[in-house]
Amino acid sequence: MEEKKAQILEKLQKVFPEISETKNDFPYNRVDLRIEKNKIPAILFYLKDEMGYKHLVHITCVDWLEEGKFEVIFIVWSPVDKIKVFVKTFLDRNNPVMDNVDMIWRQANTYERELREMFGIQFEGLVAPKEFILEDWDDMPPMRRDFDTEAYARKRFFARPGREDARDVRQTIAERTGEEIPDFAKKYSR
Amino acid sequence: MAREKVTTLYLGPQHPGITGNMMVRLKVKGDTIVGARTEVGYLHRGFEKLQERRNWLQAFTILCRFCVPEPDPVEEAYALAVELLEGREVPERAKYIRVLVLEMARIASYLLWYGGQSGSAGLYTMGQWSVGDRNYILDLFEDLTGGRVYHMFIWPGGVRRDLPKGFKDKAMKVMDYLEKRLDDYDTLLFENSIFQKRAKGVGIIDKNKAIEWGVVGPPLRGCGIKSDIRIDDPYEIYGELYEKGVFEVHPYEGGDVWARALVRRFEIRQSIKIIRYVLDNIPSGDFYNKIPNPHKWTLPKGDAYSRVEATRGEIGFFVASDGSNKPRRTHMRGAAYVHAITLLENILIGENVADVSFIMNSLGTCPPEIER
Amino acid sequence: MSFFNLRGTLKPLTSLKQFAKKPHTIEFPLEVPETSPRYRGLHYNNLDYCIGCGNCSTICQNAAIDMVPVEGIEPKKGDSGLRPRIDNGRCCWCALCVEVCPTGSLSLTKDYIFVSEDPDEFLWTPGVDNPDGINLISFTSSPETSLNEYQRVPMRELDGSERVKSFAEVVLGYNEDEARKEAQRCISCGLCTEACPDHMHIPEYINAIAQGNDEDAIRIIYDNNPLPEMCGKVCTRRCEEVCAIAKRGEPVAIRWLKRYATERAINADMIKEIVNPEILPPNGYKVGIVGAGPSGLTAGYYLALRGFDVTIYEAHDKPGGMTMYGIPKYRLPLESLMKQVDYMKKVGVKFHFNTKVGKDISFEEIYEKFDAVFVGVGFGKPWTLGIEGEDLEGSSQAVYFLERINSGEIINVGYKVVVIGGGNVAIDAARVSRRLGAEVVMLYRRRVEDMPADWEEIEGAEAEGVEIIPQAIPIKIHGENGKVKAVEYLKAEMVPDPKGGRPRPQPIEGSNTIIECSSVFAAIGQQGDYSFIDESKFKDAIKIERGRFIVNEIQQTTLEKVFAGGDAVNRTADAISAIADGYRAVRGIEKFLMGKGK
Repeated sequence: MEEKKAQILEKLQKVFPEISETKNDFPYNRVDLRIEKNKIPAILFYLKDEMGYKHLVHITCVDWLEEGKFEVIFIVWSPVDKIKVFVKTFLDRNNPVMDNVDMIWRQANTYERELREMFGIQFEGLVAPKEFILEDWDDMPPMRRDFDTEAYARKRFFARPGREDARDVRQTIAERTGEEIPDFAKKYSR
Repeated sequence: MAREKVTTLYLGPQHPGITGNMMVRLKVKGDTIVGARTEVGYLHRGFEKLQERRNWLQAFTILCRFCVPEPDPVEEAYALAVELLEGREVPERAKYIRVLVLEMARIASYLLWYGGQSGSAGLYTMGQWSVGDRNYILDLFEDLTGGRVYHMFIWPGGVRRDLPKGFKDKAMKVMDYLEKRLDDYDTLLFENSIFQKRAKGVGIIDKNKAIEWGVVGPPLRGCGIKSDIRIDDPYEIYGELYEKGVFEVHPYEGGDVWARALVRRFEIRQSIKIIRYVLDNIPSGDFYNKIPNPHKWTLPKGDAYSRVEATRGEIGFFVASDGSNKPRRTHMRGAAYVHAITLLENILIGENVADVSFIMNSLGTCPPEIER
Repeated sequence: MSFFNLRGTLKPLTSLKQFAKKPHTIEFPLEVPETSPRYRGLHYNNLDYCIGCGNCSTICQNAAIDMVPVEGIEPKKGDSGLRPRIDNGRCCWCALCVEVCPTGSLSLTKDYIFVSEDPDEFLWTPGVDNPDGINLISFTSSPETSLNEYQRVPMRELDGSERVKSFAEVVLGYNEDEARKEAQRCISCGLCTEACPDHMHIPEYINAIAQGNDEDAIRIIYDNNPLPEMCGKVCTRRCEEVCAIAKRGEPVAIRWLKRYATERAINADMIKEIVNPEILPPNGYKVGIVGAGPSGLTAGYYLALRGFDVTIYEAHDKPGGMTMYGIPKYRLPLESLMKQVDYMKKVGVKFHFNTKVGKDISFEEIYEKFDAVFVGVGFGKPWTLGIEGEDLEGSSQAVYFLERINSGEIINVGYKVVVIGGGNVAIDAARVSRRLGAEVVMLYRRRVEDMPADWEEIEGAEAEGVEIIPQAIPIKIHGENGKVKAVEYLKAEMVPDPKGGRPRPQPIEGSNTIIECSSVFAAIGQQGDYSFIDESKFKDAIKIERGRFIVNEIQQTTLEKVFAGGDAVNRTADAISAIADGYRAVRGIEKFLMGKGK
């Protein structure tokens, strides 16, 4: 398997010299590679048509808020090689645009609809109804890290009265003993 | 003239023939479908977002709600993904117990499918039988996990509890009983000419396109393609069991509802074989590789994806960690995500309106796992 | 296939035979099956075992558990007095609360039916509102299945045979991995902070260590303890006694974790750089401190940070008091203490060593010179045995022996040493004697389990080859040529105390035993020495009762300018209580001086 994984990367790197970062040392059947976003359709086409990676396993996105990036990950699987290839790309969080890939796999259309709605990623050329899961949503795309679920819930719903007498254990003990927890330490309280 | 007119028909979200809260908007000419569009959005609970706000262990309790009839493969997928990410070893005994739970869940889910599939063809007796028999599996679950429907049993590192005393005998009795009942099911359903007529040649998936359309699980095996995550990308002890010949994976040609039904009929028997083998051969030892204090349990930065074969097909779980005690991102891939949207929209064309829920049942659509 | 398939139509009809069978889904008469022995039903909480740590409340991912006061449960050390109340409308019966309960008091029951039309009735306190749940308990946790880690990360130590060869530090300390792992065991309940006399912010600094932020941990520790490295090595750790994890396992090694954190700062400059305290501008008040023991140093440090001009007078040539002269160097190396005192000098505390108040400078002079005085003189004078032969050469008080050893003197203790007593001082004297090459026997009046010394110390002594003879009451020290030759003791049996106290030893007549030896060290306790105020006009103004100063809640004595702390005030007689006294006195002095206005 290790050999096969190395071969896959070698072959891909020959065709796509743009591959910037690879990871091959997983103790299981997985190969990672990173490529710039405009090469995504090409490499996926190549994987599917030339290398037998016919099964689109998953498309997902991770929001790296602090770095200002979205990481879009395509996972493809070959029933022959029995290896998963993770094709990763970074998008600028402020301008998340990339190419649509639903002509390669029709079901990518669904994934792209979801990512468009949940992260606000625009797939150029995507033809699909505007709404997928959310209805009449006017807030920021909710799966973004800076969307505050708790604040939203507080704004939208009210808490049933009757539980206001709940006490924090740490606070209760500190009050009882006169302990003054310094402000900088409070983030470590539970 | 009127027959030539194309009408729009809304099937769902409240409709007994739909397997949950979703809608299929049909364009029909007469009673032939000429266009279909799946509309979801009635069941979104934002589980993945909720998981991001909980620590790695708390996130585990939400999992069973991703798919109610068959929660264990989702728990298994999450546990596997977390273990891959952390490199955590699972004791051998825990792997056996996990397989036991997964196969029990598979049987319970197939029994429910018997009810759904025959019910949507108007054969209600079948459903009453199989759902009644499913209760025996739920009893076993109650003994093993403490819960009947939501088990919350498979968690990162192993399973929550060891097998209780006397479980083996009880489980073996249930398996013997079920095996006998499966023959009754055959006479009632598979030998029934009404069911055969309804099922054969309906909802055909093109064998050549199946893989790239994202068809997985029983529908793919119903296209004559031998594909099962348990043997292709083996997890736990399935690879070993397959090599030992404990279970088989058998594809059926045809790609229609009938072939998919035969796949399930075959597999429920395989599951019984696996459960018998596991109960007889379970090794002694730990059932849990304990995680640290859940509040302070951090996972290394990185991501992982795990795949599990559920009754609807491939279930996967993607997790990404930023090195903290909470997931950065979790994303579940359910088989229905593909089956109930792009695939269903495609194969419904040309079919009869009366067959929509029949076909949906055969694909195993499950709206909770589409929306999560 | 023709439309009419005879077989396919008739075969299903064979199912009609099922009519003759007993239905298995409908029972008549109705049978209610018993739920399984591990069913996850409604909660039950054993209120006696519960300590109100609130771990159930923090793990609950539905936020269904509140901690509320319950009538009839009084808060005390090791019990917050709060008990979990469950909102059954939110509960999903995942039982994570059971899995993380450190005491095992919370469990789920077989009972799963609760019906009410009033939504507010679903909010109830398990154990209070369902007392009969105790008979229905089903889903429980045991130390094997619990998510708490009940085993402590073992501390690496020098081997017993290796230790006796030198005064090298015995405990090696956690390395980074061990410390992180140990810190992860903490559930951050904070029950320990109440047991700590100084109320250190224990969950916070442990959490900082667990997250890998050692510098934050140091800052949190120095917030109210300026001698943490000393505490990290020799504290009596009352915190660990009430640790929630200790209910079913070994407590979190709070002391070792503090030691780990403070050892990250290897010198005084580094401490200053990391702690980087805010030092207020001088406020013009001057405070004098008598005694550079833990309480005096603590008061000095925090007063200096608050802008006071602080001067400490110390009779010895090194700071630390009992922690410097009473604790052997294999437990607390010299550098540990000096590092922290050097740091104090850097924040502006002034020291006068070799200055005994009452001899080199009068108390009156200090009283007049400063706006406030803090007295932290400790208990320096040991009790004597009061038996024959106590003044023979080779017989002395263990405290004096330790003081001389710690001052660098080389003492010949001969071939065999008898130590009398069972406290930490006795153990210290015994272990020091082992390091000087002697055989050591300890005589203690009661049983080993009654010994007031730390169990770790007792184990350490045994590992080093110290023989402990319990229930032995010395009656005479035999001499030869004015030197100690042997100790005679009586065996004792334990008799119950008529007043209900702990069992008392009663000598057995005629059980006299003699051990030959070359030295005898007595360690049966110390008392205060207040001669420095005896000679002055303060004798009546500062009230002393049963050998201790009388102080109010801000450590103020009966003379309003004089504050006191440490062993000379509190009964617990340990360093952390002295530090707590010092810290309280700082607030007291601040209130007393700043409140007055100048």
